[in-house]
Amino acid sequence: MSRGRAIWLVARRELLERGRSRAFLLSLIVSVAIILAGLFLPSIIGSSPGAQRLGVIGTPPAGVIEAIEATATSAGLTLVVEPVADLATAEDRLRDDSLAAVLAVPPDGSTPALIVRSEPNPLLQQVVAAAFTTPPQISFRELEPADPNRDTSFIFANVGVILLFISIFTFGTWVLTGVVEEKQSRVVEVVLATIEARDLLIGKVLGIGLLGLAQLVLMVGVGLTAGVLAGRFSLPPTTAFAVVNLLVWFVLGYAFYSTALGVLGALASRMEEASNASSPVSFIAMGAYFFSLIVALNDPAGVAARIATFIPPVSPMVVPLRAALGAIEPWEFGLSVILMCVAIWVLFVVGGRVYSGAVLQTGGRMKLRDAWRASGGGSGRGG
Amino acid sequence: MLEISDLSKRYGSVVALDGATFTVRPGRLVGFLGPNGAGKTTTMRCVFGLARPDRGSITWQGQPISRPHRLRFGYMPEQRGLYPRMKVADQLSYFAQQHGLSARAASEATARWLDGLGLGDRAGAKLEALSHGNQQRVQLGAALVHDPELLVLDEPFSGLDPLGIDTMSAILRERAAAGVGVVFSSHQLDLVEDLCEDVVIINRGRIAAAGPIGDLRAASTKRHLEVEVAGNANAWLASRPDLTTVEQRGDFARLLVPVDLDLGAVLAAATSAGEVRRFTFQPPTLSELFMEVVRS
Repeated sequence: MSRGRAIWLVARRELLERGRSRAFLLSLIVSVAIILAGLFLPSIIGSSPGAQRLGVIGTPPAGVIEAIEATATSAGLTLVVEPVADLATAEDRLRDDSLAAVLAVPPDGSTPALIVRSEPNPLLQQVVAAAFTTPPQISFRELEPADPNRDTSFIFANVGVILLFISIFTFGTWVLTGVVEEKQSRVVEVVLATIEARDLLIGKVLGIGLLGLAQLVLMVGVGLTAGVLAGRFSLPPTTAFAVVNLLVWFVLGYAFYSTALGVLGALASRMEEASNASSPVSFIAMGAYFFSLIVALNDPAGVAARIATFIPPVSPMVVPLRAALGAIEPWEFGLSVILMCVAIWVLFVVGGRVYSGAVLQTGGRMKLRDAWRASGGGSGRGG
Repeated sequence: MLEISDLSKRYGSVVALDGATFTVRPGRLVGFLGPNGAGKTTTMRCVFGLARPDRGSITWQGQPISRPHRLRFGYMPEQRGLYPRMKVADQLSYFAQQHGLSARAASEATARWLDGLGLGDRAGAKLEALSHGNQQRVQLGAALVHDPELLVLDEPFSGLDPLGIDTMSAILRERAAAGVGVVFSSHQLDLVEDLCEDVVIINRGRIAAAGPIGDLRAASTKRHLEVEVAGNANAWLASRPDLTTVEQRGDFARLLVPVDLDLGAVLAAATSAGEVRRFTFQPPTLSELFMEVVRS
């Protein structure tokens, strides 16, 4: 029987056993729920009929304010109208969101303007416009005209990093616990009588990774579909690239982290030791995650983010973020993928040897160095 | 035929195997005996590539052993283990496929072996839901499901109740009769004597004795002599202070004597003391042989 079939059998076992497990179904449901909540909760909260504050500069024609208030009441909009001293004050209050809009009526009788910070509340806009049906009509102005694509990119980058981190870590942890379970239940000795230790690790990483990929595709699909249907965003032309980018970096990041976690899992002999053994990797992953969200998201083309692009444990979260924001050079992207692949390969060679040396050992947590020495054909004490 | 020659393995300063050499022939049941720590498990692990010998070779049908050969072997490790949350039938089918069976052949073999092991109605149960004894049966099933040409079982009888021992014995006999080479380790020497044609006794990493049990017993330089002289309370033994007495009870005495002892002279001494009701001269049992070999 070929090595490939042996690896596939291991992967298929993981797929079937874990894919049917309650843990996976629960993980699917929870992740879809998080995506939907993230998309819909803000719009549900945002559309609630809270009071809208309308500032007024100058003296509008008689009856206009009354007309606006009457229309608002009949439209179910709670409106508070207050006078504002001048345009500078109005802009400040728009920027700190203490006013929803400002109606500016020039003293010279020219066209009045409705000024908003960005993206006017459509209802408020209609209500105000309705009071100016006769000339002079009203003009509209946004202080910060929204670039819908930029906002969508930002959402994609932000949500993408969170999805990546959750997916990589959830399924990487499954590899860790899977390795420890096999060791703790001693089934690994039966399995390794027919298959090489390295191939067992590859199969396990592959099988669980396919589940992770399936879950990620589902989450992205549900998120995009629901986001469009809910009118939260329209898909910019870069959507396809952003999705592929996310999936590619999931595969790379997962391959790296799950292998590292699987190798460290082999050093533990019981589940209680596993989290301890894996803490260095968890620490690095958390660091990469927060670096991405705090540093790289704010300054995606900055020096720190550019350096992090070429550091394999960090790049799986930094590169997709920079790419989603359009703040990465093609050569940077290409080089980071190559570096990541090299890192995965090195980890597999080194980690595979440690795993082989450690996975058959029983009794207490093993040191990395001992596992390295013990490997190269199996080891273990016995009578 | 499995040939193990000059197998040596150290763990740090501990010598686990020191030039162990023996063979397992097709259709033979071989008992692999030795005190704890003698090297039995290490030898078996070397056969499956789970431990790498420092020196020596293991061959199957004359070829150095490799993965394709091992797929035709069945192994039951000392530390039992299967996937606790996997269904029994899925589990056996998985191991059968890992040994090279197609999916269909694997599920057929699984159904056949589950019926054979009396677990036909538990095929869909998770392993952890089974009793200890039934889990042991599944473990044996995992070693047998691909119809191996060689069976290597580490302490297959440990933890079994008398019924389980009976089932296990029957299966091992049946496999050997089907031409499979079977080697298993055990501390239950009477059971081994009852079941096996051949034994290998290992002590401190070296093979202390190996061969057909009958030959080993016959080759022993010691014999057990049991004598019962009615109403004498073993007083006659005083005339033969050269004989080693192992056991005395009433008129009965059990002696350990050299194989070339002049039996006529002993019988004459006994007869002159009274009516001789028992006089047997036998090679040592396997247990006695084991003690003799291991203590020397």
